[in-house]
Amino acid sequence: KLFHFGPCRISMSMNEIRAGFAAIKDNIQGRDPIRTVSILSHPHSLHKIKSSEKCCIIHHLFNFYVDKVFKYCTTEDSYVNRKISSIANSFLSIKRNLAPCHNQNMCKCGQESTEKFKQILTNYRGLNVTSAAMKSLGELDILLDWMEKSR
Amino acid sequence: DALLPAPQNISIISTNMKHFLTWSPVSIQGETVRYSVEFQGEYERDYANESWIPICECSLITVTVCNITEDISATVPYNLRVRADTGSRRSEWGTLKGFFNRITTYLTPPLMKIIVDGYHLLVELEDLGPAFQFCVLYWKKGQESRMQQKMVKEISSTLHLDTMEAGTEYCVKAQTYVEAINRSSNFSEMQCVRAQG
Amino acid sequence: GELYCSLPNPRNVHFESINMKNVLHWSAPDGTGDGVLYKVKYSVYGVGKWIRKSECRNISRTWCDLSSETADYEEQYYASVKAFLHGMCSDWTETARFSPLTETKIDPPMVSISSTEKSISIILTAPEKWKGSPEEESISLAQVYPGLQYNVSILNKKTKKRWWFSVSNTTLVVPWLEPGTVYCVSAQIHVTTPLLHSAFSKEYCIATLKDK
Repeated sequence: KLFHFGPCRISMSMNEIRAGFAAIKDNIQGRDPIRTVSILSHPHSLHKIKSSEKCCIIHHLFNFYVDKVFKYCTTEDSYVNRKISSIANSFLSIKRNLAPCHNQNMCKCGQESTEKFKQILTNYRGLNVTSAAMKSLGELDILLDWMEKSR
Repeated sequence: DALLPAPQNISIISTNMKHFLTWSPVSIQGETVRYSVEFQGEYERDYANESWIPICECSLITVTVCNITEDISATVPYNLRVRADTGSRRSEWGTLKGFFNRITTYLTPPLMKIIVDGYHLLVELEDLGPAFQFCVLYWKKGQESRMQQKMVKEISSTLHLDTMEAGTEYCVKAQTYVEAINRSSNFSEMQCVRAQG
Repeated sequence: GELYCSLPNPRNVHFESINMKNVLHWSAPDGTGDGVLYKVKYSVYGVGKWIRKSECRNISRTWCDLSSETADYEEQYYASVKAFLHGMCSDWTETARFSPLTETKIDPPMVSISSTEKSISIILTAPEKWKGSPEEESISLAQVYPGLQYNVSILNKKTKKRWWFSVSNTTLVVPWLEPGTVYCVSAQIHVTTPLLHSAFSKEYCIATLKDK
């Protein structure tokens, strides 16, 4: 499938990430008792970001998940750990698909996306690392839904 | 106790996105040898302290093959390893030489059956699972330059391709396409049929 | 203040969603007969407050329609139920996080067919997203799910052969059929991401006109 993130066009498949997340969604979200905080979607929704700045946010978010989320989500359940590994490795594969756009300067960061990503990091740092990582992983469907609006 | 010898001849058999790890048996007189398999993706290597993840379906098994399809679910290089175990003794890990990336899976041309029903051209394709789409090409015999293409995502039994001109011969061939690795198989054998009239 | 809460909790608190009509359902607490009353609250995930649903206060039924409260399908939600009986109460019991976009069930498409001597025409219409009142603007689920497609099955009642079509647009014309023959059509909606299928519609049968 072809995705348009502003000027950046990349072909990728999200089905496996979706399927991997669907398999552990209730387990992961069940470990997040905090209803009143969202890492990705509040106070400002990802859906408010204008198209031209989507590539910047996605570039940052994929690095965020790889560097700050997956490694702090190890559980006592080996099935869940295997699904997290599958998602994490798929993120690396998609990061590689995104790299040309980033290298060719198609992922310009405007004020809006810079502010939004700062907000995400603020939300993340507002919790202890494990809770923040688990909450971020539990919000993967929010990221996927938003990305897939760009098809 | 002396260590068990590590499993040898570790290799991958990968066809149509189904991936199997195999190895030679470790034989110990009078003892049952069991095996355990672990994998390590690029993420584990580069971001998670080179950690290994056990495949519980292939933990302490007696057969020398493990279906790793469910865990090789990203298009990145994976490491795989196997260890032998008799309960009292255990071997070192035997590791697959080189990485395995599913992008190298062997894609077979699809089984295809062409059906004519009056003026209608229909095709039946084998179901290879959700990762597979099919690219079906069809044309009037002798008019290869005016080939038409249909991408088939969901396999249902008899798929309608097109309506045909009376008495005209049409030819069809198909290949599989796997979006996750962005690769296609070779084309199936061409099949030609003639419309009624 | 809250009463002493020793009543068992409501069970199986969950959303049932069809075309984004989102209704909260639950089962009565274990071992309680008639007379149990309930109240309901909900929250938007990530927003810091629970909101009481006034129309579902002190109700005896075990469902509560939260469609208008959960109409924004770009958000995710929680809902919670508390039971009361003879001066006792239960704890609040929550749903899992509910995402209308990926968890709603989609009804089959509407199918209308017409025929000529040698062809049948099929018009497919995706169901509309739930709306609070007839005056509200209608939103087709095809707008909500851009990748929405239709799988169409056509059965020749004479030869008993069934053909399948996979189409993205809403009209399908099948020419060069046999005159004076009954064909039965059924259709299903298919969305690739997120992966959603509707059931198949009932079969609509029509005969091609007889040869003049």
